[in-house]
Amino acid sequence: MEITSVTVDGFRNLAGTFCVAPGLNVLWGDNGQGKTNWLEAIYLLATTKSFRTGRLQEVIAFGRPAAHLRAEVVRRSTPVTLDLHLEANRKTLFVNGKRAVVGEYLGQLTVFAYGREALDVICGEPGERRRFIDRGILTLKPTYVQTLADYNRVLKQKNALLRAAVESSDRRCWLDSLEDWNVQLVALGTQLHVERAQYATWLNESLDWRMFNAEQITVRYVSALGSDLPATPEAVRTALTEQLARRREAELAVGHALVGPHRDDLAILMDGRDVARFGSAGQQRSALLVLTLGQLALYRARCAEPPVLLLDDLDAELDTGRIAALLEYLQGQAQVVVTTTKPGLVQGPARRQALRAGRFIEAADSARDEPDKPFSGMEMPPCDMPRSWPPS
Amino acid sequence: MAEFAEPIARLIDELKRLPGVGHKSAQRLAFHILRSTPEDAARLASAIAEVKARITFCSVCHNLTDIEHDPCAYCVNPARDRRLLCVVEEPHNVIAIERTGEFHGLYHVLHGVLSPLRGIGPDELRIRSLLERLRSLDITEVILATNPTTEGEATANYIGRLLKPIGVRVTRLALGLPVGGDLEYADEVTLHKALAYRREL
Ligand SMILES: [Zn+2]
Repeated sequence: MEITSVTVDGFRNLAGTFCVAPGLNVLWGDNGQGKTNWLEAIYLLATTKSFRTGRLQEVIAFGRPAAHLRAEVVRRSTPVTLDLHLEANRKTLFVNGKRAVVGEYLGQLTVFAYGREALDVICGEPGERRRFIDRGILTLKPTYVQTLADYNRVLKQKNALLRAAVESSDRRCWLDSLEDWNVQLVALGTQLHVERAQYATWLNESLDWRMFNAEQITVRYVSALGSDLPATPEAVRTALTEQLARRREAELAVGHALVGPHRDDLAILMDGRDVARFGSAGQQRSALLVLTLGQLALYRARCAEPPVLLLDDLDAELDTGRIAALLEYLQGQAQVVVTTTKPGLVQGPARRQALRAGRFIEAADSARDEPDKPFSGMEMPPCDMPRSWPPS
Repeated sequence: MAEFAEPIARLIDELKRLPGVGHKSAQRLAFHILRSTPEDAARLASAIAEVKARITFCSVCHNLTDIEHDPCAYCVNPARDRRLLCVVEEPHNVIAIERTGEFHGLYHVLHGVLSPLRGIGPDELRIRSLLERLRSLDITEVILATNPTTEGEATANYIGRLLKPIGVRVTRLALGLPVGGDLEYADEVTLHKALAYRREL
């Protein structure tokens, strides 16, 4: 798949259309000019989430009632238009102008992102790593979104029930229906556990750590159910059921759910040691890059089309030698968008565009052994969204 | 800011309180009513007044019914199969099941689903009267037709467990319904299949 253009309206400080070239795209400019915002827009269009904030209303430009984002994508040689409309807390998704549920929308465009924000995957709470695995699974299997949503819903309901049982005088009546939530927690939790463990195994096999590291990077799914539990549906179902029975009193005492894959984690190891505890800042960044490229390789092995890779603030994260090796490796593997403050940093064929205050001010395509030339995209009038919005 | 004359502003405010009606739709509806004939407007007003005055819940199955017809038409119809009972969340689910033409038994409307988040436990639903009906009627099968949501599943599971000792056959609508949705949005063919291939609970 390939993005041909991204157009935004009312999104942060951005304006206009980003015409994306098939291979390598370099967005350059000083800090605060909106480079990362464009990556965020692409990531949001692909995943319906921001890599910066969980509160999506923050991305709506100051004083604007809504934000609208559109991507023109070519998927299996067919053009697809993706629209994402944000208004207050509401997010509406469209595929080719038709309202779409999130399960249909995801999978139209697959994007992986590497940047400072993603370092939370290495150094943050276990929840960050669970989300990292879940996002990876979603790229391979968009329908997983329903399993995730249902599990989280059951968990919320169960926690509300446990709280009500602790606080209310009518304790027995609430506890009467605890089992009916636990039944679903086991069924959905088993699916989650098995999918995640499978993904972690596949990812581990896809890690090409030799390219950047002397150290070997490995990942392993860590279940609160125990480290030697085989990740088969039968084994997980039995273990979950057993643990729920054993920890019932403890759950009632604390008033929230203590058993289930919402307590699990992903171990990220460097030569067998926890990279968050024992790795230097540079080693942690390399590990994250190896993981991101592993996700990309895994996606490439299972889905025919190259995805999109976003590399934020490239020169702050990597040295010149690694950048060259990385971009060489990515040729033909993915459509790439990188941001940098130094336009001369990236050698070879690329589309280079300069940004000031969220707008494109300069653009050129360069091929090997040819002088740069402006590309015709800049002369196109910006795509006029209000004319075709909202879709009828 | 310019404002409409008081009566039209009031109508817009009232319409805006309806579910799914925003300010623009409310304004459009209000102006439509304003342009209609006095007879049309009066008919609409009396339909609204009458629905409140004349509709009640059936004292047997809790479905909607005319105040002069309690028990409701389904409960008193001798042609309905009195061995089958279909349990649904809301009155509008009865309409969805009826549209399939597949079901000819009796109904029981719970008026909600288990949802601790909203403070709804088993006591808030019409479950006790369901058990009473099962004691007095000769029901051989109860079909649990709650929505395919986590709340609908929990409710079906809960009722299924209650009914087990009674020895009645308990079934659940087959999968194939759009997950997370409402029976209302399932097309007739899908719902027909879900009924025909219902599974034992
Ligand atoms: Zn009735």
